[in-house]
Amino acid sequence: MANVKAAELSALGGATRERAGGIGLFAGGLLTLLLVMVGVPLVMVVLMSLRTGFPGEGGPLTLANFAAVYSAPSTYKILLNTLQFACGTVVVALAFAVPLVWLLNRTDIPFKNTIYVLMIVGILVPVFLRTIAWILLLSPRIGLVNQWAMQLFGLDQPVISLYNIPGMAFIQGVSFVPSAFFMLGAAYRTMDPSLEEAAYTSGVSKLQTFLRINVPITWPAIAGVMVYLFMSAIAVFEVPAIIGYPARILVLSASIFTSTNPPTGLPNYGIAGAYGAVMLGAGLLLAYFYVRLVQHGKKYTVITGRGYRPREIALGKWKWAALAFSFLYLSMEVFIPFLVLLWASLLPHLQLPSAEAWEQISLNNFATIFDFVDALPFINTAILMIAVPTLTMLLSVLVSWIVVRTQVSFRGSLDTIAFLPHAIPSILLGVGLAYLSLAYRVYFPVYGTVIIIAIAHTISWIAYGTRTTNGVMIQVHRELEEAGKVAGASTARVLGRIVLPLVASGIFNSWIWISMLAYREVTMALTLGTRKNVVISTIVWQFWGSGWVPQVAALGVILVLFAVVVVGILKIVFARYGEFGADGH
Amino acid sequence: MRKWFDSRRGRVEALRGIDLEVAEKEFCVLLGPSGCGKTTTLRSVAGLEKPDAGELEIDGTLVNSPTKGVYVPTEKRDIGMVFQSYAIWPHMNVFNNVAFPLIKGRRKIAKDQIAPKVSAALKLVQLDGLEDRPATDLSGGQQQRVAMARAMVTEPKILLMDEPLSNLDARLREQMRVELRKITKAAGLTTLYVTHDQAEALSLGDRVCVMNEGEIIQIAQPQEIYARPASLFVAQFVGEMNFVKGEVKAKDRVDCPLGAMAVAVPDGLAAGTGVTLAIRPEHVKISPAPSHGVATRLGKITSKNYLGDAALLEVEVNGVTLLAKLAGDTELTVGQNAVVELPEQRWHVFAESD
Repeated sequence: MANVKAAELSALGGATRERAGGIGLFAGGLLTLLLVMVGVPLVMVVLMSLRTGFPGEGGPLTLANFAAVYSAPSTYKILLNTLQFACGTVVVALAFAVPLVWLLNRTDIPFKNTIYVLMIVGILVPVFLRTIAWILLLSPRIGLVNQWAMQLFGLDQPVISLYNIPGMAFIQGVSFVPSAFFMLGAAYRTMDPSLEEAAYTSGVSKLQTFLRINVPITWPAIAGVMVYLFMSAIAVFEVPAIIGYPARILVLSASIFTSTNPPTGLPNYGIAGAYGAVMLGAGLLLAYFYVRLVQHGKKYTVITGRGYRPREIALGKWKWAALAFSFLYLSMEVFIPFLVLLWASLLPHLQLPSAEAWEQISLNNFATIFDFVDALPFINTAILMIAVPTLTMLLSVLVSWIVVRTQVSFRGSLDTIAFLPHAIPSILLGVGLAYLSLAYRVYFPVYGTVIIIAIAHTISWIAYGTRTTNGVMIQVHRELEEAGKVAGASTARVLGRIVLPLVASGIFNSWIWISMLAYREVTMALTLGTRKNVVISTIVWQFWGSGWVPQVAALGVILVLFAVVVVGILKIVFARYGEFGADGH
Repeated sequence: MRKWFDSRRGRVEALRGIDLEVAEKEFCVLLGPSGCGKTTTLRSVAGLEKPDAGELEIDGTLVNSPTKGVYVPTEKRDIGMVFQSYAIWPHMNVFNNVAFPLIKGRRKIAKDQIAPKVSAALKLVQLDGLEDRPATDLSGGQQQRVAMARAMVTEPKILLMDEPLSNLDARLREQMRVELRKITKAAGLTTLYVTHDQAEALSLGDRVCVMNEGEIIQIAQPQEIYARPASLFVAQFVGEMNFVKGEVKAKDRVDCPLGAMAVAVPDGLAAGTGVTLAIRPEHVKISPAPSHGVATRLGKITSKNYLGDAALLEVEVNGVTLLAKLAGDTELTVGQNAVVELPEQRWHVFAESD
């Protein structure tokens, strides 16, 4: 008996080793693919910073670009602007996100679910549309608020302007609130509520408990979110391009874009690379701090009891103040931008509400939209919405399966590489890929196609994709898989019949979410854009550049409504699977 | 010290009239299945839940009374509490965890007295010498002790414990059970303890309060609970029990499949009423040879479960399977016919509707 067992064991061991070899090879291939996808655009950014002339002209490597950029005083103004803009953005985002996290997680604020859903809708309103809407409201020249104030008080000066760093930080900060909210909320929920209750039963006051217990324990998470927001604020492009650029307030991202897409003259990839290298360096450094903070935070998560939900704090008469605060935020995030766009889309030209304006209201702008745009951008956008999530989720599932389920020695590195795009600014990814496809068009003949945008998007969201697939894979207990094998099912059958059905809803959820992100993305689409691969978001951008406000508004309304309808339907379908797209960004 | 309250929360009545008084220095255990309201009761005493009706006093001070508009918040109540998850603050070391209630809490004391107090508390739970250890580097049993020390360091009027042993493994749990009682007695603490483990309740409590569906079913000393369960629920929940359905024939007679039993029928159960008879396995006597003086029956042994110090035997009598607990060295085996003795004074009689 004992002998038979030993023989069986050694046979089993042999089979496992053999299969481990196959998995190792497969994982190695995957690692190489990811290294190429993530590494090559970054190498291109570095390479272009060391070369002068057009992409593909070759020539010796030189530091001339750095010398040109960092000897110009204007560069330091740009860096200072970037820093101020990023700090302001973080402050604005946290000022709204922290109270909202507390209100929605710990108090009995009414309409909780509605607020949640509207936050998610907020993510789907593209930042550039929100920015445009706020310009229509607060621009000194055409802004409705200024027009109205000047009319009412007989002023000849506008009362408020968005064209300054606080204005930019305000719009960007408001746009970051949902990301900050969902990240902080996740950290807050992993904190055992009895840690707080233990302080109360020790006779410690609510304020002291908040300061001495809640803040220190959640501090790594809050610091992590701050670093993450700061990192993102340095990299964002839409607000700096739409508000900052016309007002001559340049930040790094806008400088990179204008170097490669100058309004007049020839593109200078070398200069863009020299700006980009700084942004890349700062991004990677901040990403390192971010990972450190997150790991530190994990040390603080402790095993909880049976999860007795803490009593919700009764707000009493403060309920309405809390609701007003949430409503104020949601107005800035969703309601006001949407209403402004809707108003502008129904009129032949932007004007204040009046009897005359009411008479001119029509759906004309919607009906004539196809006089301005053909079907191509819609087709291209549809291609992105299907190709990008499919590619991303396919890669994510494979990566997560290796990372979570196998013993491959370099699975940690694989996970890190997959997470790295989180730290890569989309503007650099776009510029790097543009340079690659221009300089090496013989080997990589995709310049000006929708394929290159799809590649950029896939690289960009593989970090988000793998985070969610890691999550769902961990939730499927290893024993479920092993029980299947013990029952005599093959590896393929176990994957297909046990693992896949269990993770399918989670994966589909992320698929839809990434599809929506691809739908609204503009930065990469713009840096990689030509006349052939226009998508809806870049068309809106072009319209805005041409000053076609009613058409921008009409397309914007369509863009937002479509996203809301898709998410609305999925929210209902997915109601039993928990939050939809909870930690998307 | 008195406390009683009942609470109606929404449509679910979590607690439907709890009337309980814990005497000074008493160790009182709330025992019941999950969802019976024992934790809600404990948390109401702590002020972490607000009862919707009724009054609650700690050491003569009214801390909760919705009718009088009194609600003393948790942090102002003179209590200590040990949580199921221990709730050790991960960003502090052992010393700071225990000292925190003295530094920031309700009972701030002079700085130079903190260290001796903390040392005394840590000594009581046998953790002296680990003051500087980060809380995250402690084992489950050590975290448990830190939580105890932290809850006791302020010498609270009442110590509340919410299933503190349920996250420990079996051996450590039994060890801590003995120690827990020693520590609370040594510190002279009044304790209210919640558990769903009946063995824990019987061994720890001066008094055990069995709860079900938001109500107290029986409050008594552990021996009383075990020997004289007040209802069918308590009989089922505490310890092992054989149950046989029967029908009342007279004041002192119940008929059941085992035959006519001469047992004392409780008042209020008229002839013809259906009842449940119950007897503990250790009171079912099985022997190969007939003995005299008690009603004897013949049965057949259908299974034997040997446990070392004891053996559990299933014996079938008149189509009824009874569980008997015998000494481990019994020589009875499966398939053997045996005489079954069911001493009549050991039977409990419960109304069917209980």
